[in-house]
Amino acid sequence: MSRSWVDAILAAGVVPASHVPEASVGRVDLEEFTGADPVEDPELRVRSLVGAPALAPPSVGFLDGIEQWRVVGYAGVTPIVRAHVAAAIRLREGDRRLRTVAENADELAITRLDRLPDAVRGALAGTGVRVVEIPADDAGQPARALPAARLEVQKARAALERRLAERRLARLGSDEWLVVDGVLSDSPALSAHPRAVGVVKSHGAEYFEGPELERALTLPVLHRTSVFRPKRRGARREIYSWYLRLWPWEGNDLLYGLLRVEARAHPGTVALAPRISAWLVGERAPLATPDRRWDRLLYPIYDVESYLRARAPRDLLPAPGSRLPRTGT
Amino acid sequence: MIDKASFQPPPIGRVVATEQKPATPHQFHFWTANETSIGIGAIVRVEGFGAGDSGRVVYGVVTDGFAYSDLATPLHDVVGAEGDPARAAEHPTVRQEIRLWTAAVLRQRPEEPLQPVPLGAVHVASDVDVAQALRMDAYLGGEQPTAIPVGLYTSGGLEAPVYLDADFLLGPEAAHLNISGVSGLATKTSAVEFLLASIFQHFPPHKGRVAAVCFNVKGPDLCFLDQPGALEDEDRRRYERLAVQAQPFERVRYYAPFKADGVNLNTLRTHPDLVGDVEPLVWGLREVLDYAEVLLNRDDIDAKADAFIDFLADRVVDKEFDDGFGGAHRVVTFADLERLFRSIFDGLELAGRGDTWRTHHIATIRKVRNRLSNISTRCKGLVTDDGPSSDLPWGRFEDRAVYVVDVANVDPLGQDLVFARAVSKLREHLERRDLGVDAVVVFVDELNKYAPGDGPDTYVKKMLLDISERGRYLGLVLFGAEQFRSQVHRRVVGNAGTIVFGRMDSDELATPGYQVLSPATKIKLATLPIGELMVRHPHFTQPIFVRFPRPGVLRGRDGVERFPPAADLPFEDAVVRQLVKLDRRVRPNQVKDLIADRREEDVRRALAHTRQARPQDAFAHFKKHLGGRVAAVPAAARESVAPLNRISDEPY
Ligand SMILES: Nc1ncnc2c1ncn2[C@@H]1O[C@H](COP(=O)(O)OP(=O)(O)OP(=O)(O)O)[C@@H](O)[C@H]1O
Ligand SMILES: [Mg+2]
Repeated sequence: MSRSWVDAILAAGVVPASHVPEASVGRVDLEEFTGADPVEDPELRVRSLVGAPALAPPSVGFLDGIEQWRVVGYAGVTPIVRAHVAAAIRLREGDRRLRTVAENADELAITRLDRLPDAVRGALAGTGVRVVEIPADDAGQPARALPAARLEVQKARAALERRLAERRLARLGSDEWLVVDGVLSDSPALSAHPRAVGVVKSHGAEYFEGPELERALTLPVLHRTSVFRPKRRGARREIYSWYLRLWPWEGNDLLYGLLRVEARAHPGTVALAPRISAWLVGERAPLATPDRRWDRLLYPIYDVESYLRARAPRDLLPAPGSRLPRTGT
Repeated sequence: MIDKASFQPPPIGRVVATEQKPATPHQFHFWTANETSIGIGAIVRVEGFGAGDSGRVVYGVVTDGFAYSDLATPLHDVVGAEGDPARAAEHPTVRQEIRLWTAAVLRQRPEEPLQPVPLGAVHVASDVDVAQALRMDAYLGGEQPTAIPVGLYTSGGLEAPVYLDADFLLGPEAAHLNISGVSGLATKTSAVEFLLASIFQHFPPHKGRVAAVCFNVKGPDLCFLDQPGALEDEDRRRYERLAVQAQPFERVRYYAPFKADGVNLNTLRTHPDLVGDVEPLVWGLREVLDYAEVLLNRDDIDAKADAFIDFLADRVVDKEFDDGFGGAHRVVTFADLERLFRSIFDGLELAGRGDTWRTHHIATIRKVRNRLSNISTRCKGLVTDDGPSSDLPWGRFEDRAVYVVDVANVDPLGQDLVFARAVSKLREHLERRDLGVDAVVVFVDELNKYAPGDGPDTYVKKMLLDISERGRYLGLVLFGAEQFRSQVHRRVVGNAGTIVFGRMDSDELATPGYQVLSPATKIKLATLPIGELMVRHPHFTQPIFVRFPRPGVLRGRDGVERFPPAADLPFEDAVVRQLVKLDRRVRPNQVKDLIADRREEDVRRALAHTRQARPQDAFAHFKKHLGGRVAAVPAAARESVAPLNRISDEPY
């Protein structure tokens, strides 16, 4: 969808703005300590991957999504945010090249409708853009409205990714796997599928304490932890998980090269964990540079992201240069 | 028509422009799939769309190509493969790659206003596009088309004929062609042979009659232009596509001087089946004297010598002349002239009259005598005393005929003389419009020898320069070939409207003359396959690569194998053969009996007269000219050009 809805609300009296809030890159998933149940070993252990044959699925889909957002105007102090979310699955087959097999994008307006003047509300409704509302409590204070808007953007993106994944899973080839950037446990279908793998790069959630935590976070390169089952939180589904170290962290940081892998809660996962781990280690190359997260970012995921960014509307990207007042018209 | 217009194959690329690599009015960049038929030299069509650009069409030719992946630095590939090149190939995913091409604009439609190339879709060019792109539409159609097929533009399965404009190849708008490239691989000689055939078949009727004069300067190169050569199916296909008939030249006339014996021809076309149509090229004193400047300024330019030569030409030759010491001369031959010189020297010495004769210093006289005697010794078979000269048919040139002048075995001085005289004659007759044809292509192979970039300004060099600068108005067109263009005089190549390159030497490509070519084009030139050429022509904004078929004539090398040159005949047999050629009824033994014990120069003279007269009864004519039997004179006493003094380098 074009910028036309933005023009419509500006015409209705919204004061134009152009602002991408600072912390909009990357996702936060700081969560409290949740705990985990042992599955593979009574206590979290460090296991070497040496000698483990890598799983080599002939075709693998890689799924990732992006979100881009920008405050495009204010009605009074109520922000109106324009957001673009997109997700794609790029399939890798025998020729080792990635091709897009599924893709979806959405544009939304995020605001609080009851705080908008009638004219603006009317204009917004007239454009047909999907409007997502922030909670009434957050709407009054811009300092709270923007994080709230951002949460909605993230939710929209997660929903888009999930829809795409579930649709793909429904007709996943018998030797095809789906690797998802992030957790599986948000989706019943994903978390139960035998050939879906979630690759988590951020370690906001903590499942261990004490020596077990130390074992998990000081995992040597080419090692994994035992498979464990994170304790269920909220709507999350039951899942099996383990840590995996792609690159030696010593000299860098505890989290350097550290992935957490998710797969369905099923005895088969325990059996496959070494082979899945060896496979993911093989995905270290090619390096996903120049992305800063290359130590954890699998190249195919990086590729999906580049693909989506290349197709995103150009006017949502943070403008290069300064935010000095504009001159002229 | 509608079908054609609506059928639009999908684009093969897309123009991209960044601040670093913007599209300009003369250049643009586009990307294609990794698997593409596009390559260096490919012609493409860009279609603009959207505001301001829709309806705009730009034609371009690919001049450079780039491939890269999203790899940030080579080091990251090393890290990913853990230092093992073998493992780099095992990466589970292939990086994103790009094939990015640079193209130079050939033509924009509309031409005005001239704007940057639109960021549109890129298509491979069709036949029609190629004609548009190269502006060939201007001379392909219309009432009086002037298109001369030169080769096939070939790219990714598409093949389109490329035409030169006769008005720009053969005058009057522009003229001349220069072709360069390494020996054997550049197919220079072959390309000129093919193009001549194409010119003869496609020279527009309204431009009149055309002929070619080809100097054979290398072995048997051009000795078999009338014999069919071996062609392959691919060659025949190319001929068909270019609408040129694959056949040897129908009218070829060969000219070669004699060897020193004055009866055997100095050429490799001496096989009995073929030698019959080689005409001797024989010049006498008059012909040489007119071009004496050629002989002089090889070493030095001397106004005094010039003046003396003029004096000889104007006042002495062919006239009754009194030497001032009581001797009367009628100088017709070198021998007569030598007699005059001797009586001058003797007279001056006897009279003790100092060292000037008729205002000419004796040193000047000696110098001119040296030069003239030099040519008559070094080019014995060309320059002769024995009777009338035999020359190209000035004034009677035939339409679509090739005149091959074989000077491959002639002393360089003699070659210069032949060039100078032949080209000057062509010019004279073309100026008077009485040559017999309206345009003549003069093909000079090894142009670097005759118009070198360095060295003294010889007469031949000045003459070639003169043709290249003024010939186009006269219909006197120079086709020059050489290995290294950089070694040819700058203005001679610079005036060539059409420039062709075959496989090039990379050292040559590194010289300043090739700076305008992109590195990729240079690489392509350095590896160009046999049969492919790069052509520059006034209508083409950029050089274009074309393929041409093997010429339909027998290669020199194959010619001497199929028609091995005959061994030199003994004097009598050579005379017999020449007479038989003039008149098939001539009986060899009769001739041999007649010339036994006769002086060779008398025989040669009689033969030359017979040749010139072309009588019904050659033997009778020959016999009459030979005159009555005289006593054999010992060779030492013969009166022809004396084995003259060696060239003296002393100051006079
Ligand atoms: N169109 C063609 N396709 C394939 N081969 C060709 C073609 N034209 C010429 N040749 C072959 O290429 C070879 C070299 O050709 P040619 O003698 O014309 O080269 P050149 O550049 O004149 O060489 P040099 O500098 O030695 O005179 C010949 O053997 C000829 O048969
Ligand atoms: Mg040659």
